[in-house]
Amino acid sequence: MNKKLKSVNLSCVRQQKLLFKNISFELGNENLLLIEGENGTGKSSLLRMLAGLALPFSGSIYWQDISIHQSPLFKEDLHFVSHSNGIKHSLTLKENLELTAGLAQSDFSFFDDVIADLALKNCLDTPASQLSAGQKRKLALAKLFMIHKPLWILDEPLNALDGNAQLYFLSKLKEHLNTGGIAVISTHHPLAFKTFSANSLRLEIC
Amino acid sequence: MLKTIWHLFYIELIILLRRSQEWLYPLGFFLIVLSLFPLAFSADPVFLQKYVPGCIWIAALLASFLSVQTLFASDLEDGALEQLLLSPLPLTSLIYPKLIALWLVTELPLILLMPLTALLFHLSFSTMLILSLSLLLGTPILTLIGGLGVALTLGLRQQGIFLGLLILPLVTPVLIFGVGIVQQFQAGFDITAPLALLAGLLVLAITLLPFAIACTVKTVIDS
Repeated sequence: MNKKLKSVNLSCVRQQKLLFKNISFELGNENLLLIEGENGTGKSSLLRMLAGLALPFSGSIYWQDISIHQSPLFKEDLHFVSHSNGIKHSLTLKENLELTAGLAQSDFSFFDDVIADLALKNCLDTPASQLSAGQKRKLALAKLFMIHKPLWILDEPLNALDGNAQLYFLSKLKEHLNTGGIAVISTHHPLAFKTFSANSLRLEIC
Repeated sequence: MLKTIWHLFYIELIILLRRSQEWLYPLGFFLIVLSLFPLAFSADPVFLQKYVPGCIWIAALLASFLSVQTLFASDLEDGALEQLLLSPLPLTSLIYPKLIALWLVTELPLILLMPLTALLFHLSFSTMLILSLSLLLGTPILTLIGGLGVALTLGLRQQGIFLGLLILPLVTPVLIFGVGIVQQFQAGFDITAPLALLAGLLVLAITLLPFAIACTVKTVIDS
Protein backbone atom coordinates (compact mmCIF):
# COMPACT_ATOMS: atom_id res chain seq x y z
CA MET A 1 0.00 0.00 0.00
CA ASN A 2 1.50 3.31 -1.03
CA LYS A 3 1.51 5.96 1.63
CA LYS A 4 2.50 9.57 1.33
CA LEU A 5 3.05 12.37 3.82
CA LYS A 6 3.47 15.78 2.32
CA SER A 7 3.98 19.15 3.93
CA VAL A 8 3.76 22.42 2.05
CA ASN A 9 5.32 25.67 3.26
CA LEU A 10 4.82 25.06 6.95
CA SER A 11 5.57 27.88 9.32
CA CYS A 12 5.23 28.13 13.05
CA VAL A 13 4.79 31.13 15.30
CA ARG A 14 4.96 30.74 19.06
CA GLN A 15 4.61 33.66 21.45
CA GLN A 16 4.80 36.13 18.56
CA LYS A 17 8.10 34.62 17.52
CA LEU A 18 8.74 32.94 14.20
CA LEU A 19 10.23 29.51 14.86
CA PHE A 20 10.51 28.23 11.30
CA LYS A 21 9.07 28.92 7.90
CA ASN A 22 8.76 27.33 4.45
CA ILE A 23 9.20 23.75 5.55
CA SER A 24 8.19 21.55 2.65
CA PHE A 25 8.87 17.88 2.12
CA GLU A 26 7.34 14.77 0.74
CA LEU A 27 7.83 11.34 2.24
CA GLY A 28 6.81 8.03 0.75
CA ASN A 29 7.17 4.38 1.69
CA GLU A 30 10.48 3.44 3.31
CA ASN A 31 11.44 7.10 3.90
CA LEU A 32 12.92 8.31 7.16
CA LEU A 33 13.10 12.01 7.95
CA LEU A 34 15.41 13.10 10.76
CA ILE A 35 14.71 16.49 12.25
CA GLU A 36 17.72 18.10 13.85
CA GLY A 37 18.31 21.46 15.41
CA GLU A 38 19.31 23.14 18.63
CA ASN A 39 17.01 23.49 21.60
CA GLY A 40 14.19 25.90 20.99
CA THR A 41 14.27 25.74 17.21
CA GLY A 42 10.80 24.21 17.06
CA LYS A 43 11.45 20.50 16.57
CA SER A 44 8.70 19.44 18.92
CA SER A 45 6.34 22.07 17.52
CA LEU A 46 6.93 20.74 14.02
CA LEU A 47 6.23 17.19 15.13
CA ARG A 48 3.05 18.23 16.94
CA MET A 49 1.94 19.95 13.75
CA LEU A 50 2.67 16.87 11.68
CA ALA A 51 0.64 14.80 14.13
CA GLY A 52 -2.27 17.19 13.77
CA LEU A 53 -2.18 18.36 17.40
CA ALA A 54 -1.21 21.92 16.55
CA LEU A 55 -2.32 24.01 13.60
CA PRO A 56 0.43 25.51 11.47
CA PHE A 57 0.59 29.31 11.29
CA SER A 58 0.57 28.87 7.54
CA GLY A 59 0.96 25.95 5.16
CA SER A 60 -0.68 22.58 5.15
CA ILE A 61 0.02 18.89 5.67
CA TYR A 62 -1.40 16.09 3.58
CA TRP A 63 -1.70 12.37 4.18
CA GLN A 64 -2.50 10.51 0.96
CA ASP A 65 -3.15 13.92 -0.64
CA ILE A 66 -5.92 14.73 1.82
CA SER A 67 -5.38 17.36 4.51
CA ILE A 68 -4.62 15.54 7.77
CA HIS A 69 -7.43 17.38 9.55
CA GLN A 70 -9.96 16.02 7.08
CA SER A 71 -8.43 12.65 6.40
CA PRO A 72 -10.41 9.83 7.99
CA LEU A 73 -7.41 7.53 7.73
CA PHE A 74 -4.69 9.69 9.21
CA LYS A 75 -5.32 8.95 12.88
CA GLU A 76 -5.66 5.24 12.16
CA ASP A 77 -2.30 5.24 10.41
CA LEU A 78 -0.35 7.29 12.94
CA HIS A 79 1.79 6.47 15.97
CA PHE A 80 2.90 9.59 17.80
CA VAL A 81 5.24 9.50 20.80
CA SER A 82 5.98 12.89 22.30
CA HIS A 83 8.28 14.07 25.08
CA SER A 84 5.66 13.29 27.65
CA ASN A 85 5.19 9.59 27.33
CA GLY A 86 1.41 9.59 27.61
CA ILE A 87 1.49 7.11 30.47
CA LYS A 88 -1.03 7.11 33.31
CA HIS A 89 0.97 6.82 36.52
CA SER A 90 -1.70 5.15 38.59
CA LEU A 91 -2.12 2.32 36.10
CA THR A 92 0.15 -0.68 35.85
CA LEU A 93 2.32 -1.21 32.81
CA LYS A 94 -0.07 -3.79 31.41
CA GLU A 95 -3.14 -1.61 31.96
CA ASN A 96 -1.37 1.23 30.20
CA LEU A 97 -0.72 -0.94 27.17
CA GLU A 98 -4.33 -2.15 27.15
CA LEU A 99 -5.49 1.45 27.22
CA THR A 100 -3.21 2.28 24.31
CA ALA A 101 -4.56 -0.64 22.29
CA GLY A 102 -8.11 0.38 23.11
CA LEU A 103 -7.55 3.95 21.97
CA ALA A 104 -5.87 2.72 18.80
CA GLN A 105 -8.85 0.43 18.15
CA SER A 106 -6.65 -2.55 17.52
CA ASP A 107 -5.20 -5.63 19.13
CA PHE A 108 -1.62 -6.44 19.94
CA SER A 109 0.57 -8.63 17.88
CA PHE A 110 3.80 -10.06 19.31
CA PHE A 111 2.87 -8.79 22.80
CA ASP A 112 4.96 -11.32 24.71
CA ASP A 113 7.94 -11.07 22.36
CA VAL A 114 8.13 -7.29 22.59
CA ILE A 115 7.73 -7.29 26.36
CA ALA A 116 10.52 -9.84 26.65
CA ASP A 117 12.79 -8.01 24.21
CA LEU A 118 12.33 -4.75 26.08
CA ALA A 119 13.06 -6.48 29.40
CA LEU A 120 9.74 -5.38 30.84
CA LYS A 121 8.51 -8.84 31.73
CA ASN A 122 9.05 -8.43 35.46
CA CYS A 123 7.18 -5.15 35.73
CA LEU A 124 3.96 -5.95 33.91
CA ASP A 125 2.01 -5.41 37.11
CA THR A 126 4.08 -2.55 38.47
CA PRO A 127 2.34 0.81 38.70
CA ALA A 128 3.82 3.11 36.07
CA SER A 129 4.70 5.63 38.78
CA GLN A 130 7.34 3.19 40.08
CA LEU A 131 9.01 2.62 36.72
CA SER A 132 12.33 4.27 35.92
CA ALA A 133 12.57 6.95 33.25
CA GLY A 134 13.98 4.44 30.78
CA GLN A 135 11.28 1.90 31.50
CA LYS A 136 8.62 4.56 30.98
CA ARG A 137 10.17 5.42 27.65
CA LYS A 138 10.19 1.75 26.67
CA LEU A 139 6.53 1.50 27.66
CA ALA A 140 5.69 4.53 25.52
CA LEU A 141 7.57 3.08 22.56
CA ALA A 142 6.26 -0.47 23.00
CA LYS A 143 3.08 0.33 21.10
CA LEU A 144 5.13 0.99 17.96
CA PHE A 145 6.23 -2.62 17.92
CA MET A 146 2.92 -4.18 18.96
CA ILE A 147 0.40 -2.30 16.87
CA HIS A 148 1.26 -1.96 13.23
CA LYS A 149 0.75 1.52 11.79
CA PRO A 150 2.51 2.90 8.72
CA LEU A 151 3.46 6.34 10.03
CA TRP A 152 5.65 6.95 13.07
CA ILE A 153 6.21 10.46 14.40
CA LEU A 154 8.62 10.31 17.31
CA ASP A 155 10.09 13.03 19.48
CA GLU A 156 13.57 12.08 20.69
CA PRO A 157 12.81 8.36 20.87
CA LEU A 158 16.28 7.39 22.07
CA ASN A 159 16.17 9.58 25.17
CA ALA A 160 16.58 7.69 28.45
CA LEU A 161 16.91 4.31 26.69
CA ASP A 162 19.79 2.00 27.59
CA GLY A 163 22.13 0.61 24.94
CA ASN A 164 20.21 -2.60 24.33
CA ALA A 165 16.91 -0.82 24.03
CA GLN A 166 18.42 1.68 21.61
CA LEU A 167 19.73 -1.12 19.40
CA TYR A 168 16.37 -2.87 19.61
CA PHE A 169 14.57 0.33 18.65
CA LEU A 170 16.88 0.91 15.69
CA SER A 171 16.43 -2.66 14.44
CA LYS A 172 12.66 -2.31 14.72
CA LEU A 173 12.80 1.01 12.92
CA LYS A 174 14.73 -0.63 10.10
CA GLU A 175 12.14 -3.37 9.91
CA HIS A 176 9.36 -0.76 9.87
CA LEU A 177 10.99 1.11 7.01
CA ASN A 178 11.77 -2.06 5.08
CA THR A 179 8.13 -3.08 5.22
CA GLY A 180 7.07 0.19 3.66
CA GLY A 181 6.68 2.36 6.75
CA ILE A 182 7.39 6.06 7.06
CA ALA A 183 9.06 7.68 10.06
CA VAL A 184 9.66 11.26 11.14
CA ILE A 185 12.05 11.46 14.06
CA SER A 186 13.55 14.37 15.91
CA THR A 187 16.92 13.69 17.43
CA HIS A 188 20.04 15.14 18.97
CA HIS A 189 21.97 12.02 18.08
CA PRO A 190 21.98 11.80 14.28
CA LEU A 191 25.00 9.49 14.52
CA ALA A 192 22.82 6.75 15.93
CA PHE A 193 20.92 6.72 12.66
CA LYS A 194 23.98 6.69 10.42
CA THR A 195 23.21 3.24 9.04
CA PHE A 196 19.91 4.54 7.66
CA SER A 197 19.61 6.35 4.37
CA ALA A 198 17.72 9.21 5.95
CA ASN A 199 16.71 12.60 4.70
CA SER A 200 17.55 15.17 7.27
CA LEU A 201 16.02 18.51 8.00
CA ARG A 202 17.91 20.99 10.09
CA LEU A 203 15.94 23.71 11.87
CA GLU A 204 17.85 26.93 12.47
CA ILE A 205 17.04 29.82 14.76
CA CYS A 206 15.25 32.44 12.68
CA MET B 1 -16.10 1.40 19.54
CA LEU B 2 -18.46 0.70 22.44
CA LYS B 3 -15.96 -1.77 23.82
CA THR B 4 -13.28 0.91 23.87
CA ILE B 5 -15.59 3.37 25.58
CA TRP B 6 -16.47 0.81 28.24
CA HIS B 7 -12.81 0.03 28.67
CA LEU B 8 -11.96 3.70 29.02
CA PHE B 9 -14.74 4.11 31.58
CA TYR B 10 -13.39 1.19 33.58
CA ILE B 11 -9.82 2.55 33.39
CA GLU B 12 -11.01 5.98 34.48
CA LEU B 13 -12.83 4.49 37.46
CA ILE B 14 -9.70 2.57 38.48
CA ILE B 15 -7.58 5.70 38.24
CA LEU B 16 -9.98 7.75 40.34
CA LEU B 17 -10.44 5.04 42.96
CA ARG B 18 -6.69 4.44 43.26
CA ARG B 19 -6.15 8.13 43.94
CA SER B 20 -8.32 8.18 47.01
CA GLN B 21 -7.80 11.92 47.54
CA GLU B 22 -9.89 12.52 44.43
CA TRP B 23 -13.10 11.44 46.11
CA LEU B 24 -12.21 11.42 49.81
CA TYR B 25 -11.26 15.10 50.06
CA PRO B 26 -14.40 16.51 48.43
CA LEU B 27 -16.50 14.20 50.59
CA GLY B 28 -14.76 15.33 53.78
CA PHE B 29 -15.01 18.94 52.63
CA PHE B 30 -18.74 18.50 52.04
CA LEU B 31 -19.31 17.14 55.54
CA ILE B 32 -17.25 19.84 57.23
CA VAL B 33 -18.93 22.69 55.36
CA LEU B 34 -22.31 21.20 56.26
CA SER B 35 -21.44 21.01 59.91
CA LEU B 36 -20.51 24.71 59.88
CA PHE B 37 -24.00 25.90 59.01
CA PRO B 38 -25.69 24.93 62.31
CA LEU B 39 -22.75 26.50 64.16
CA ALA B 40 -23.03 29.74 62.23
CA PHE B 41 -26.81 30.01 62.34
CA SER B 42 -28.78 28.00 64.84
CA ALA B 43 -29.08 24.38 65.89
CA ASP B 44 -32.84 24.75 66.29
CA PRO B 45 -34.51 21.73 64.55
CA VAL B 46 -37.30 23.83 63.03
CA PHE B 47 -34.79 26.28 61.57
CA LEU B 48 -32.59 23.45 60.30
CA GLN B 49 -35.47 21.65 58.60
CA LYS B 50 -36.27 24.81 56.73
CA TYR B 51 -32.80 25.96 55.70
CA VAL B 52 -30.54 22.92 55.66
CA PRO B 53 -31.57 21.73 52.16
CA GLY B 54 -30.17 25.00 50.79
CA CYS B 55 -26.99 24.55 52.83
CA ILE B 56 -26.61 21.00 51.54
CA TRP B 57 -26.91 22.29 47.97
CA ILE B 58 -24.28 24.96 48.54
CA ALA B 59 -21.93 22.44 50.13
CA ALA B 60 -22.48 20.01 47.24
CA LEU B 61 -21.79 22.79 44.78
CA LEU B 62 -18.51 23.74 46.45
CA ALA B 63 -17.47 20.10 46.76
CA SER B 64 -18.13 19.48 43.07
CA PHE B 65 -16.15 22.59 42.22
CA LEU B 66 -13.22 21.12 44.16
CA SER B 67 -13.46 17.65 42.70
CA VAL B 68 -13.81 18.68 39.06
CA GLN B 69 -10.51 20.60 39.07
CA THR B 70 -8.42 17.48 38.61
CA LEU B 71 -10.42 16.36 35.55
CA PHE B 72 -7.81 16.93 32.82
CA ALA B 73 -4.87 18.15 34.90
CA SER B 74 -2.91 14.90 35.09
CA ASP B 75 -3.88 13.97 31.53
CA LEU B 76 -2.39 17.19 30.25
CA GLU B 77 0.75 16.74 32.30
CA ASP B 78 1.54 13.13 31.39
CA GLY B 79 0.57 13.49 27.72
CA ALA B 80 -2.41 11.15 27.94
CA LEU B 81 -4.64 13.93 26.63
CA GLU B 82 -2.61 14.07 23.40
CA GLN B 83 -3.07 10.36 22.97
CA LEU B 84 -6.83 10.73 23.45
CA LEU B 85 -6.88 13.34 20.70
CA LEU B 86 -4.89 11.08 18.38
CA SER B 87 -7.29 8.18 18.74
CA PRO B 88 -9.36 7.48 15.62
CA LEU B 89 -12.47 7.65 17.83
CA PRO B 90 -14.24 11.01 18.13
CA LEU B 91 -12.98 12.91 21.16
CA THR B 92 -16.50 13.52 22.47
CA SER B 93 -17.08 9.81 22.85
CA LEU B 94 -13.90 9.59 24.92
CA ILE B 95 -14.90 12.54 27.13
CA TYR B 96 -18.22 10.95 28.14
CA PRO B 97 -16.71 8.03 30.07
CA LYS B 98 -14.36 10.42 31.88
CA LEU B 99 -17.22 12.65 32.99
CA ILE B 100 -19.45 9.77 34.00
CA ALA B 101 -16.67 8.16 36.02
CA LEU B 102 -15.90 11.48 37.71
CA TRP B 103 -19.55 11.95 38.65
CA LEU B 104 -19.86 8.41 39.99
CA VAL B 105 -16.77 8.71 42.13
CA THR B 106 -17.13 12.26 43.44
CA GLU B 107 -20.83 13.14 43.44
CA LEU B 108 -22.68 9.88 43.99
CA PRO B 109 -21.13 9.38 47.46
CA LEU B 110 -22.61 12.73 48.53
CA ILE B 111 -26.06 11.52 47.53
CA LEU B 112 -25.54 8.17 49.19
CA LEU B 113 -24.67 10.08 52.32
CA MET B 114 -28.06 11.82 52.38
CA PRO B 115 -29.79 9.45 54.87
CA LEU B 116 -27.03 10.21 57.37
CA THR B 117 -27.25 13.94 56.72
CA ALA B 118 -31.01 13.84 57.09
CA LEU B 119 -30.58 12.17 60.46
CA LEU B 120 -28.10 14.84 61.57
CA PHE B 121 -30.33 17.74 60.60
CA HIS B 122 -33.76 16.41 61.59
CA LEU B 123 -35.00 16.13 58.00
CA SER B 124 -38.04 13.93 57.43
CA PHE B 125 -37.68 10.82 55.30
CA SER B 126 -39.74 12.21 52.44
CA THR B 127 -37.76 15.49 52.41
CA MET B 128 -34.57 13.42 52.29
CA LEU B 129 -35.88 11.50 49.28
CA ILE B 130 -36.84 14.66 47.41
CA LEU B 131 -33.51 16.28 48.29
CA SER B 132 -31.64 13.21 46.99
CA LEU B 133 -33.69 13.32 43.82
CA SER B 134 -32.88 17.00 43.25
CA LEU B 135 -29.18 16.26 43.82
CA LEU B 136 -29.35 13.27 41.50
CA LEU B 137 -30.63 15.50 38.72
CA GLY B 138 -28.51 18.52 39.58
CA THR B 139 -25.03 17.25 40.39
CA PRO B 140 -24.35 15.82 36.90
CA ILE B 141 -24.95 19.34 35.55
CA LEU B 142 -22.43 20.67 38.06
CA THR B 143 -19.86 18.12 36.86
CA LEU B 144 -20.53 18.95 33.19
CA ILE B 145 -20.34 22.72 33.59
CA GLY B 146 -17.28 22.25 35.78
CA GLY B 147 -15.75 20.11 33.06
CA LEU B 148 -16.19 22.89 30.52
CA GLY B 149 -14.67 25.39 32.95
CA VAL B 150 -11.68 23.11 33.52
CA ALA B 151 -11.20 22.65 29.78
CA LEU B 152 -11.29 26.41 29.26
CA THR B 153 -8.74 27.11 31.99
CA LEU B 154 -6.48 24.14 31.23
CA GLY B 155 -2.81 24.91 31.65
CA LEU B 156 -3.33 28.33 33.23
CA ARG B 157 -1.56 29.35 36.37
CA GLN B 158 -3.95 30.13 39.23
CA GLN B 159 -6.44 27.86 37.52
CA GLY B 160 -8.44 27.20 40.68
CA ILE B 161 -9.55 30.75 41.47
CA PHE B 162 -10.28 31.64 37.87
CA LEU B 163 -12.26 28.44 37.52
CA GLY B 164 -14.42 29.50 40.46
CA LEU B 165 -15.08 32.91 38.92
CA LEU B 166 -15.98 31.21 35.67
CA ILE B 167 -18.26 28.38 36.73
CA LEU B 168 -19.91 29.40 40.00
CA PRO B 169 -22.09 32.06 38.30
CA LEU B 170 -22.99 29.55 35.59
CA VAL B 171 -24.33 26.97 38.00
CA THR B 172 -26.74 29.31 39.83
CA PRO B 173 -29.79 28.08 37.84
CA VAL B 174 -29.05 24.56 39.02
CA LEU B 175 -28.87 25.80 42.60
CA ILE B 176 -32.12 27.78 42.27
CA PHE B 177 -34.15 24.91 40.84
CA GLY B 178 -32.47 22.30 43.03
CA VAL B 179 -33.30 24.15 46.24
CA GLY B 180 -36.66 25.18 44.79
CA ILE B 181 -37.75 21.58 44.47
CA VAL B 182 -37.16 20.90 48.16
CA GLN B 183 -38.68 24.19 49.35
CA GLN B 184 -41.83 23.72 47.29
CA PHE B 185 -42.14 20.18 48.56
CA GLN B 186 -41.81 21.32 52.17
CA ALA B 187 -44.40 24.05 51.60
CA GLY B 188 -46.82 21.44 50.24
CA PHE B 189 -46.80 22.56 46.60
CA ASP B 190 -46.53 20.49 43.47
CA ILE B 191 -42.89 19.92 42.53
CA THR B 192 -43.36 18.80 38.94
CA ALA B 193 -42.41 22.14 37.41
CA PRO B 194 -38.98 22.69 39.02
CA LEU B 195 -38.26 18.96 38.71
CA ALA B 196 -39.02 19.06 35.00
CA LEU B 197 -36.93 22.20 34.54
CA LEU B 198 -33.95 20.67 36.30
CA ALA B 199 -34.35 17.45 34.29
CA GLY B 200 -34.50 19.56 31.13
CA LEU B 201 -31.32 21.37 32.09
CA LEU B 202 -29.68 18.01 32.70
CA VAL B 203 -30.63 16.68 29.27
CA LEU B 204 -29.40 19.86 27.65
CA ALA B 205 -26.11 19.67 29.54
CA ILE B 206 -25.55 15.97 28.80
CA THR B 207 -26.16 16.35 25.09
CA LEU B 208 -24.31 19.59 24.43
CA LEU B 209 -21.54 20.12 26.96
CA PRO B 210 -19.35 17.11 26.13
CA PHE B 211 -19.10 18.42 22.54
CA ALA B 212 -18.16 21.84 23.83
CA ILE B 213 -15.61 20.29 26.19
CA ALA B 214 -14.07 18.23 23.38
CA CYS B 215 -13.76 21.28 21.11
CA THR B 216 -12.23 23.33 23.91
CA VAL B 217 -9.69 20.63 24.71
CA LYS B 218 -8.64 20.47 21.05
CA THR B 219 -8.08 24.21 21.00
CA VAL B 220 -6.17 24.24 24.28
CA ILE B 221 -3.86 21.41 23.19
CA ASP B 222 -2.95 23.46 20.12
CA SER B 223 -0.95 25.99 22.10
